[in-house]
Amino acid sequence: MTAKGRAVGIDLGTSNSVVAVIDNDGMPRILTTDEGMTTLPSIVWFVGRRVIIGEAAREGLDSSPETTVFGAKRLLGRRFDHPEIAKLARILPYDLVAAPNGDTWIQLAPGRTISPEEVCAMILRELKQTAERHFGEPVTRAVITIPAWYDAAQRQATKDAAQIAGLGVIRLLSEPTAAAFGHGAHRGANRRYLVCDLGGGTFDVAAVDVDGGIFEVLATTGDPFLGGDDVDRALVENLVRDVRVSKGFDVSTDAIAIERLRLAAQRAKHELSSTSQAAVHVAELVQLPSGKGIEYNRALRRDEVELWSAPLIRRLEPPISQALAGARRGRDQVDEVLLVGGSTRMPAVRRELARVTGREPSVIANPEEVVAIGAALEVARLEGTIEGVLLIDVAARGLSISVAGGDCELVIAQSSVVPTREHRVFATRQDDQARIEFDIWEGEAPEAAKNRQLGRYAVVDLPEAPAGDVLVLVEVTLDTDGTVRLGATELVSGDRLQLEQLFHAGLARADVIRLARQLAEGS
Amino acid sequence: MASGRTLHVRFTTWEQVEAFHTRKLRRGKLLSMKVAFQAAIGAQVTLGLELPNGIVIAIDGTVLKTSPIAGDTKTWTEIELVGFTEDVLSRIKAMANSGETAPAPAPAPAPPPPPAAPRPRAPSIPPDISGDERQLFLNLTTELRRMRQLAVHEVLDVPRDADADAVRHGWMTLVRHHHPDLVARYQAPAISHLAEEITILGNRAYDRLRSALVAEGRATSVGSVVQEPAGWLVGFEDLSSVDGSSLRPNAKSRPGFATPTPPTGIPAADAAAPSAPGGVQGGEAFELRARAMLGDGDANNAQEVLAAALCVYPRSRPLRSLYYVASAVSALQKGEVMLATSQLETALAHHESCREAGTILEHVRKHGHARIDEMRKLFK
Repeated sequence: MTAKGRAVGIDLGTSNSVVAVIDNDGMPRILTTDEGMTTLPSIVWFVGRRVIIGEAAREGLDSSPETTVFGAKRLLGRRFDHPEIAKLARILPYDLVAAPNGDTWIQLAPGRTISPEEVCAMILRELKQTAERHFGEPVTRAVITIPAWYDAAQRQATKDAAQIAGLGVIRLLSEPTAAAFGHGAHRGANRRYLVCDLGGGTFDVAAVDVDGGIFEVLATTGDPFLGGDDVDRALVENLVRDVRVSKGFDVSTDAIAIERLRLAAQRAKHELSSTSQAAVHVAELVQLPSGKGIEYNRALRRDEVELWSAPLIRRLEPPISQALAGARRGRDQVDEVLLVGGSTRMPAVRRELARVTGREPSVIANPEEVVAIGAALEVARLEGTIEGVLLIDVAARGLSISVAGGDCELVIAQSSVVPTREHRVFATRQDDQARIEFDIWEGEAPEAAKNRQLGRYAVVDLPEAPAGDVLVLVEVTLDTDGTVRLGATELVSGDRLQLEQLFHAGLARADVIRLARQLAEGS
Repeated sequence: MASGRTLHVRFTTWEQVEAFHTRKLRRGKLLSMKVAFQAAIGAQVTLGLELPNGIVIAIDGTVLKTSPIAGDTKTWTEIELVGFTEDVLSRIKAMANSGETAPAPAPAPAPPPPPAAPRPRAPSIPPDISGDERQLFLNLTTELRRMRQLAVHEVLDVPRDADADAVRHGWMTLVRHHHPDLVARYQAPAISHLAEEITILGNRAYDRLRSALVAEGRATSVGSVVQEPAGWLVGFEDLSSVDGSSLRPNAKSRPGFATPTPPTGIPAADAAAPSAPGGVQGGEAFELRARAMLGDGDANNAQEVLAAALCVYPRSRPLRSLYYVASAVSALQKGEVMLATSQLETALAHHESCREAGTILEHVRKHGHARIDEMRKLFK
């Protein structure tokens, strides 16, 4: 194993990322950053040509929000015209632009754009270096966790980000499975879990069954715009109102003041998980024209926070009901509710989840880290030290194919167990036709406009023959990670055919390799 | 031989080889055989004789005569084996003699394959595989070859009409043995590839069988799980109505089981249509609503209602066939005659005495279309 470099488990989160390893004693262990934290904030601050990552980049949120990228995971593998991106573009302080192929990229300055893959790669590389410092040897491979609902494009984008960071992905693991695995579900009896993951930016619910060591995700739902950051925002809104009343300033348009309030409110919120009162303290909220700073102090009670976040807490129920309905389960058919993600530490969230699911959730000591522990255990499983466990994944969305702008035809249906492969045969339509072009779509609708285009390919150098005599077999494979592979064969001769990529979602192979080299040289 | 065909003949014993050149060949050169294709007279073919020791001898030949067999897709083809010279014959005889004298360590280039191996040809082992991985590689190759020849239910080792539990159990057994993750620790791409190919075969078989079970109403599926449908024995009409009226007069006599009694309020012609014998029936209330909607020309909503009903009564043939009728009516309203025809045929396949499906299909076949108002009358 060592010859090929060490492998780590990484929870690449919207707000925070965690790296875990199987240590030399065979136990999973969370690694701490230089600041002594177990989680690395998924924030990248671009200061000119310099890049600051993690805790130190929080200052960027404060001083230059337009070049400080957080939550890049939400943008990964998404088209710019996706409704969720449109919503994000209004919320985020940095600019989003459409890449030439329709993907979402980030504009740091006019003429300077960066892809979310590169931003995630920087975070992954930081985690990789943390692990390298721990082991004292190179880390080259990783298990990376992803939301269970990630489609093929998002999965590929995650893989690309890892490759840019110099990490080979040994497996993309769905987060609810990783959470159940990290919780030790493989050791106990067969159980039906409901995994509720309330992180910084998203709320994901999944029904996970563990049956004889086989993990299966039955249904996933979620709210992509509900998380601890939204609670922070609610607190800030109320604090801004309080500033107006108590100090007579309106700071609602002052980005720096807002960010300072947010940091103070977040600290107070964390404290309030275990106490009933905490202090919000900002040393210099705004600066008067005279140069004098205005200090802001306020005591924050837990019931105030709960009152302000009540509209958000109420949004926890619908995804849970949907997940249960999707899994065709009643509340009483769930054996255990797992709470994952830092925001589930909030007492109000726990109370609400207990009410909605009708049972007291299992208390996990480290809800922020359990997913990364699961990823590290997956490394151990793939290296053969954990036996008798299988993690089954299914296609999150169907895959369709269309030729020459025609209707999309379903090739691989949604919920097909991966790895799987299907094929379609195309015939030439003209005499001596040299190439056949086809499109691969994600989605099951016959109308192309309702699906997402993954790529356009051409089979080239076809032999000369009358129309219909050349038959091309196109094989579409969804591999164990849920990413797409293509192959083409000429049916009569059995020859492998050359596939030319004309359009692709995400980064091109050549770009990934170039960026990986750049990032490695830059360090 | 780019233009010609290669016909493989496999001999498992040397007796068969002897019988081939002594009894099967006429005049030493002519061979008649059944083949699955229609060969042109004069076409070049190559006969690949696979001997018991694994060696394949290629013999060129020309097609002399072909005659189709009545009631069979195959054709008798007479081939003149021009390449079957005395030289070749003596080589075969020599090998037969040495094969008989030393049977156990055959001079085949491959290590002895396991007894279950259908084909004793040696796979080429990649150079990066060594030691005990070599045996694993060979075992996986054999298993993959065997599975590639099987029907989907055989891949999972279940009977053709297996139920949801059996299919799931068969699939779980297969992935527990062959999932690529189980061999990931070898970090050998060739082994992982073989395991992945086997798992792909298993997963595809599982997906096909479970969608068939779901389509037949014998199972429900969520994520990767397939299970027996819960609750089809108790249905909507088992609940009492507020106004005291009962849709099924004999509901009390056999609680929990619906009986094939025509619902009240359906015209005599419909009542005459027999229900499927022996099957569990139910959902007349849904059927009535759907018929009313079809009578109003609202095929889309009728389809929704029937789809909902089928979740509760997945085994009801009348409901299922009516669902396809509704789908056909909706297709006809859009002018999609082809789709409608196939939907009507499906309806009849599910419930052959479905009167509406028969009538509309007959009309469509005769006139190429169906009048919407005529169709509506059928349901009134």
